[in-house]
Amino acid sequence: MTDWEPKIVAFLCNWCSYGGADLAGVSRLQYPANIRIIRVPCSGRVNPKFILAAFRQGADGVWVSGCHPGDCHYIEGNLYARRKFTLLNNLLEHTGIEPGRLHFSWISSAEATKFAETARKVVDAVKAAGPAQHFIKKQAEVA
Amino acid sequence: MSEIYITKGKLPEIVELLTGGNRVFGPVRKGQYHEFSLLEQVADLDLNCRNTRLSPKALFHPHSELMFQFTLEQGNPQSGILKEVPKDFSPRIVLGIRPCDAYALKLDDKNFVSDKFEDPWWVKRRENTTLVGLACNDPCATCFCTSVGTGPFDTTGLDALLVDLGDGYLLQAVTAKGQDLLENLRSAEPVPQDAAERVAALKKAAEERLGVQFNLEPVKQKSMIELFDAPFWDEVQFSCINCGTCTFLCPTCWCFDIQDEVHKEQGERIRIWDSCMFPLFTLHGAGHNPRSQKLQRVRQRFMHKLKYYPDKYTDGIACVGCGRCVQHCPVNIDIRHVARLMSESCSCPA
Amino acid sequence: MRSYTEKIREAAKRLLSENRVDAVIGFRRGTVALMNEPCLVKNADQVDRLYWDSNCGVNLANYLPKRPDRVAIVAKGCDSRNIVVHLLENQIKREQLYILGAPCHGMIDRRRILADLHGKEPLEVEETDGRVRLIGRDFEESLDREAYLQENCAICVHRNPVIYDELVGELVEEQQNVDRYEDVRRVEAMIPEERWLHFEQLIAPCIRCYACRNACPLCYCPTCFVDESRPQWVGKSIDRTDTRTFHFLRAYHVAGRCTDCGACERACPVGIKVRQFTKKMEKDIKELYGYEVGLNTDERPPLDTYRPGDPEPSFK
Repeated sequence: MTDWEPKIVAFLCNWCSYGGADLAGVSRLQYPANIRIIRVPCSGRVNPKFILAAFRQGADGVWVSGCHPGDCHYIEGNLYARRKFTLLNNLLEHTGIEPGRLHFSWISSAEATKFAETARKVVDAVKAAGPAQHFIKKQAEVA
Repeated sequence: MSEIYITKGKLPEIVELLTGGNRVFGPVRKGQYHEFSLLEQVADLDLNCRNTRLSPKALFHPHSELMFQFTLEQGNPQSGILKEVPKDFSPRIVLGIRPCDAYALKLDDKNFVSDKFEDPWWVKRRENTTLVGLACNDPCATCFCTSVGTGPFDTTGLDALLVDLGDGYLLQAVTAKGQDLLENLRSAEPVPQDAAERVAALKKAAEERLGVQFNLEPVKQKSMIELFDAPFWDEVQFSCINCGTCTFLCPTCWCFDIQDEVHKEQGERIRIWDSCMFPLFTLHGAGHNPRSQKLQRVRQRFMHKLKYYPDKYTDGIACVGCGRCVQHCPVNIDIRHVARLMSESCSCPA
Repeated sequence: MRSYTEKIREAAKRLLSENRVDAVIGFRRGTVALMNEPCLVKNADQVDRLYWDSNCGVNLANYLPKRPDRVAIVAKGCDSRNIVVHLLENQIKREQLYILGAPCHGMIDRRRILADLHGKEPLEVEETDGRVRLIGRDFEESLDREAYLQENCAICVHRNPVIYDELVGELVEEQQNVDRYEDVRRVEAMIPEERWLHFEQLIAPCIRCYACRNACPLCYCPTCFVDESRPQWVGKSIDRTDTRTFHFLRAYHVAGRCTDCGACERACPVGIKVRQFTKKMEKDIKELYGYEVGLNTDERPPLDTYRPGDPEPSFK
């Protein structure tokens, strides 16, 4: 599958990472077009069900990004998110999801370069993992 | 109706013979317990199984069944039209089904086949299946078939019955379908002369051991409202955790839900077991739930089996005494205890 | 065990007749061997129903959320830890509770005993000096009790109740040097594909009856995510992706709240070892945040708090 391009769902927080993506855009920084951005109020808003839902609908990778610890618009949302997603990532990998599918980052609204760079890293990692195999909901496999 | 004798050594040969032209299902050990499965090889059949963990109802009414498929493609003239999913209705034989479970299928017929409506898949599966039962010489402590209108040697729901006589099986035809099956089995041995006596003795011993554990006659006489409002439900419901174990293992629980699943532009309609133990079971679209409380749901299950069904169909109760719910209820709710409470309508424990 | 039963009855009688509580939650003797039924006793003259032995594995904390009345509850180590979780999550108030602590010797794994009896059925069970004597219609067998404990009980390090108002037996010595995560490490050592298959095989027999969820004291959400329809997060059939989604999210939802009481595995009618999911998180939470569930009513649960310097190995 040489022409395969991964689909990656990115949940970006409104106050930092989404701003970072915006700035990357207006600064005309280049990054791969595999990313579909969903703007959320805070990385703490991202429910693990959202991530599972993305995988179930065929996303090859998921990326959640928020404000740096200490800079959360809601003071501490990203600090809860940090624990939540560390455990989620561990459990997903423990139950067999390949490393490289799920990504987390802290990107401020000034860090356009970091955004573009992280986007490249995420896309490279997902490309290395290949097309998603697991958790994709297709026609029910029943009698 | 004729009968033949099969020594235990000959059984594999006979089963092998049956697999020609039929799909043969029987109890197969799967890890910790037995399940009714298609016999991929004759050696998989385990007639020493006391009973399967899940009832054989799934052979006729699978947990999840694809009903229809459809496309939602724009511009496709077939868009939105439900298409029946082809199913395998080739002849099959279910070997080693217990008399209680076979009797349960008879009860389930009431739901799937009425004067007005027929469930085509249920009907076709019932028609293409020959039920070869295995009499219970050794009922479990949780069994109570004799208390609910069937028995360890009951042939009501069967086409043929196998009785384990120790060194071999006596196979008796019950229906014309069973008779056909027997006629194809020529490799049989002579029937021992004392076979009938031995069967009668085994039957008597099994029935005596089961005894009659409760009497539901008073429940029939009692007014439904009185039972519905009885105070003992509060005690019965306390320990229930509203899981679906009892209903999913039960051979006479037939309730299902229908779900449409859509993936991009393709979709399918699936029929899935449902349970009156689940709050969602009766949740209305408007948000009201007539059985929002645990007590109401627990009461529904027992009333349906022991009161509503007998009142509506007037030919027995919707429980066959297989004891699966008694054995596997995680909190030990015992339908025998509830049946006694219902017939005595007294709140003291047995 | 007999002494526990007597103490429980005595305490229940006292509490009910002195009107200290409105009801007592305990066990009554089961109708089948190796099973007991949770029961609610409301009158002092019914306390003789209460019973205790090694078949009281159901977690009674499951019956507490949103109770309006004052109740006494018999609590093993794990039950008491789940009571702590309920207190932290405001499911019940401490003032409503009178906890009858039952130091636990581990509960018996009924399913394993029945499997090893190969179809023979015990009708009577007696426990004496570390042995379980099973008497059936035409057999009698004596088993080593320790060898037939529930798997979670065998590796339990909190057998004594962590919170109680009175004890119904002497405190027991806690097990030392227990390796709680041997099985988790075995899975961790596999490559991703093997791990995926391991869990695929584990949950293959699932019939979506939700006994694991409902037996769990933590699962008290008014609407479980599997029952949500807008959006519908997960399909309801036994399609393997849906089954996997259910088990995964159920397990994740008890992260930092699960006390490894084993109620889920005990309830599963098809014998799925669902603790394989939850134990991984228990291990990680201990390693990453140094938290053990349900030991302390002053400390917030690990996912309801944070520390500025929490480890963030997977963040860029």
